Amino acid sequence: MTNFIDYFLGGISSGVIIALMALALVLVWRSTRVVNFAQLAQAMFTTFIALTVRDLTGSWLLALAAALASGLVLGVIVHFLVIRPVKRMDTSGAIIATFGVLIALEAFAGMIWGGDGKAFPPPIRNTGFEIGGRVWPFSPYDLLVVVTVIVLVLALTIVFTRTSVGLAMRASAFNPEVARLSGVRVSRMLVLGWAIAGFVGAVAGVLVAPLTTLSPTAFDVFLVFAFTAAVIGGLDSLVGAVAFGIGTGLVISLVSGYTDSSNAPVVALVLLVVNLLFKPEGVFTHHKARTV
Amino acid sequence: MLTIEDLSVSYGAVQALKGVSLEVPPGRVTAVIGANGAGKSTLMRTLAGLEKPQSGRVTFNDTDITGRKPEDVVRMGIALVPEGRSTIPDLTVEENLKLGGMWRTHAQRNTSLTRAYTLFPVLGERRSLGADTLSGGERQQLAIGRALMTGPQVLLLDEPSLGLAPLIVTQILELVGTMAKDSGLAVLLVEQNATTALRVAKTGIVLNLGEIVKSGPAQEIAQDEELRHAYLGY
Amino acid sequence: MSRLTSLTERLPGTRLVSHALIALVIFGLLTWINQFIDPLLSYYLATAAMYATAMFGMTILVGLSGQVSLGNGALMAVGGYIFALTSLNWQTVPILGTPWNAVWSMVFAGIGGVVFGLLIGGIAARLKGPYLAGLTLGIAVGVPAIANRFPGLLGGENGLMIQVPYPAGGYAAATGGLTDDASTDEFLGGGDEPLYEELPDDLFTDEQAVIEDDFAGDDFLSDEDFLSDDDFLSDDDFLGDDDFLSDDDFLSDDDFSTNDGFTTDDVVPEEAFDDEAFGVEGDLGSDVSAIDGLDAGFVIEQWQASVAIAVACIVGFVALNLVRGRQGRVWQAVRDDPVAAAVSGISPAGSKISAFVVSSLFAALAGAVFAQILSFVGPGAFTLGLSLSLLVGIVLGGRTSLIGAMIGAVILVWLPEFVLDVSADRGWDDQITNNAPNFLYGILVVLVVLAAPGGLVGGVQGFAKRLNRR
Repeated sequence: MTNFIDYFLGGISSGVIIALMALALVLVWRSTRVVNFAQLAQAMFTTFIALTVRDLTGSWLLALAAALASGLVLGVIVHFLVIRPVKRMDTSGAIIATFGVLIALEAFAGMIWGGDGKAFPPPIRNTGFEIGGRVWPFSPYDLLVVVTVIVLVLALTIVFTRTSVGLAMRASAFNPEVARLSGVRVSRMLVLGWAIAGFVGAVAGVLVAPLTTLSPTAFDVFLVFAFTAAVIGGLDSLVGAVAFGIGTGLVISLVSGYTDSSNAPVVALVLLVVNLLFKPEGVFTHHKARTV
Repeated sequence: MLTIEDLSVSYGAVQALKGVSLEVPPGRVTAVIGANGAGKSTLMRTLAGLEKPQSGRVTFNDTDITGRKPEDVVRMGIALVPEGRSTIPDLTVEENLKLGGMWRTHAQRNTSLTRAYTLFPVLGERRSLGADTLSGGERQQLAIGRALMTGPQVLLLDEPSLGLAPLIVTQILELVGTMAKDSGLAVLLVEQNATTALRVAKTGIVLNLGEIVKSGPAQEIAQDEELRHAYLGY
Repeated sequence: MSRLTSLTERLPGTRLVSHALIALVIFGLLTWINQFIDPLLSYYLATAAMYATAMFGMTILVGLSGQVSLGNGALMAVGGYIFALTSLNWQTVPILGTPWNAVWSMVFAGIGGVVFGLLIGGIAARLKGPYLAGLTLGIAVGVPAIANRFPGLLGGENGLMIQVPYPAGGYAAATGGLTDDASTDEFLGGGDEPLYEELPDDLFTDEQAVIEDDFAGDDFLSDEDFLSDDDFLSDDDFLGDDDFLSDDDFLSDDDFSTNDGFTTDDVVPEEAFDDEAFGVEGDLGSDVSAIDGLDAGFVIEQWQASVAIAVACIVGFVALNLVRGRQGRVWQAVRDDPVAAAVSGISPAGSKISAFVVSSLFAALAGAVFAQILSFVGPGAFTLGLSLSLLVGIVLGGRTSLIGAMIGAVILVWLPEFVLDVSADRGWDDQITNNAPNFLYGILVVLVVLAAPGGLVGGVQGFAKRLNRR
């Protein structure tokens, strides 16, 4: 039982981070009907920028700000340079293009920062709380992660459900033609979607970096986790992405804890396959959009 | 109010409209009737900016609006209710309405919203429900309500009767007719169901294979049996 | 050209013959070239042929059938591991009881590819676009990780060393000594631990040495055709090639002295599987004589290249028939308009699954060849990077064309070398040099998708058409 609690606690912070990553994928999917497979390569890149800023200034907050700003900008750049020109052609082209961006960004990061894993120091203590004479696998840093994610998700929820821009973005995602006929400038909403996704991805990158090591390919495996969570949630659903992001993180933590951490990608793969076989349209959506 | 001159539209090799000219005056309903594939929807989509015309001109209040983007056209005061009850099922009824006219001031939008709920009381009752819970007739009302939220001077209605019970169609069309008379709205109505459309319309235009074959007072057209047999198939 | 096409349309048999001729001519040409080039070039040739084998499948899957898959690197792993496991563990063919050789390993690798292709294709046929790409991404990342789950059977992170089934008698040992930096190290990644430690000691027996010598005497000198070669699995020259394992002490006397306690009786025949992989003293002797006697023979890289070329040409011949036959049109019909295809009696799901099965088969065969080129299988060889490389190659060469696949394979081999040359000239940092090829790949992929979706082949065809019109 103690083991279970340990693994569970250990899974929470990675779960909420995976939730953020899934959220970034969903935001892009909703705005442009493209899964941005380069999303986490972008996050890796902005996290490296954050690490550089931190090394130069010593300030974690400045580093975070740099990551967020560059995440936003990178999202917009990728949208304008790659996705907008390619989107009208076949879907294969869009998918391949995002993989092109992934390959180029990872290599570019390797050119600048090298291929070895680098430590990203946490802003606050990352050793477990000591309660009742026992060290629990949940640290002040984990708490910071959870609180940050909750705040961010709440803020996004308010933007999407309570503001005109949020309504315009949702309408553009669900039915661009009706949105345009209502006077919404849909193309701007798409850019905004990519920008917000870049922002959310950047937050996820900076938060996850202290829990692992940062290298150009370090986030590849998170891409699989985040994609799994986003697909199980239904790809269109923000709530689904968050819920199944946390769920995926917990399952992976439990399985890794009871067996071996090298199982994590296999677990994600199994979750994905089971979902695609039995509920291909995802849990949080009622559309039948996936098959021919 | 809205003047269409010699409008031609084609999809690849298929020419959907061949030099159509017509006038949509304010304060009344103008009905375009014709069989399936006559080019009715193409006309509407082109006027709303969803299709680019090959040649011809569309003028609105003396401004050339040919080939403008749909979001600009609607902001100038031309609102389209597209075919097939174009509501967004994932949004609530009120959200669907609020989507229309997002660029307008808060006061303008509130006035329009109150007006929409007065015109269609059933929407007021269901404002916080998902649009997917509405019946077909209610959804058509919501779609028209959304278009009215943009504060239009011209309302383009594409096949509002499609898939609806005759009684509901009559109700909706009569409401639209009254609205045109009362507020000076110019309505362009496109319909396959000629009888109902011509009942509320002042002017009737018969479209066949992308060309206007007849236009005149609605009553006259409704009584022209030869025309009915030749182009409307009943 | 058009007259030729109409002729082949009329006589289906002619088409088969013309395809066979194309494959044979390419095979003959490459085999001929392979005789004269130095080992490094042979190694590049082998790698390019291996990539082409896998990418013929990508042409069908991604290009014709329109399913973007990143899983083909993992399917290569399936083929590679099956090749390694069967050649390490099986002395005779199950049921048939005939002696095992590498061709059987290839056959089983292919069967494994078909089985996995059916499994993945069955799921994939229900998915479209990004869902499929994401699923296969999961496969590319997840499947190689499975090797870590079974360290006993699959060798874990260190993988499995295999010998190249290299008919040694007729060939001189490598003198160039290039493989240590060109292939082994590059793909072993961080695996610095000596791999041979995982092998049981009792395999190095004197009895095996005798057997090996007998075989060598019989037909090594006369038999260059690997398809009919019983001794395919014996690998004498492997040991002559010290550089290959970059471990000079590998077969030092110390190692053999540990076996002194074993008598021939101690060895149960069934257990004697891995023997060939590490050979025995007697072979070293025959090596030396081979070097003395024949200086114009094949080195191991040339042998690897000839295997890779043969497989690529057979696979290419099959692919050519599929692509230019009815099945090719079916795949494209389903890609372009699944509903219309279904209306005209084609099963969209069946077409998608068949594309998956064919490409898995090709990938598995390529994986088996890859295992022979590396003399090794391991998670470090079948990374996400490999899957991405296949995608890059097919996109740059031309998504829907088999020639595009071949051009893509050449690009994958040539571009890193080109970058190395430029880097040496300009004095680039290692960090830049190592990442520059991938950086270029990424940029080129995006540019090709934006500006020339047909890749190099499509671009050239478009250009030729414009010239013709003038």
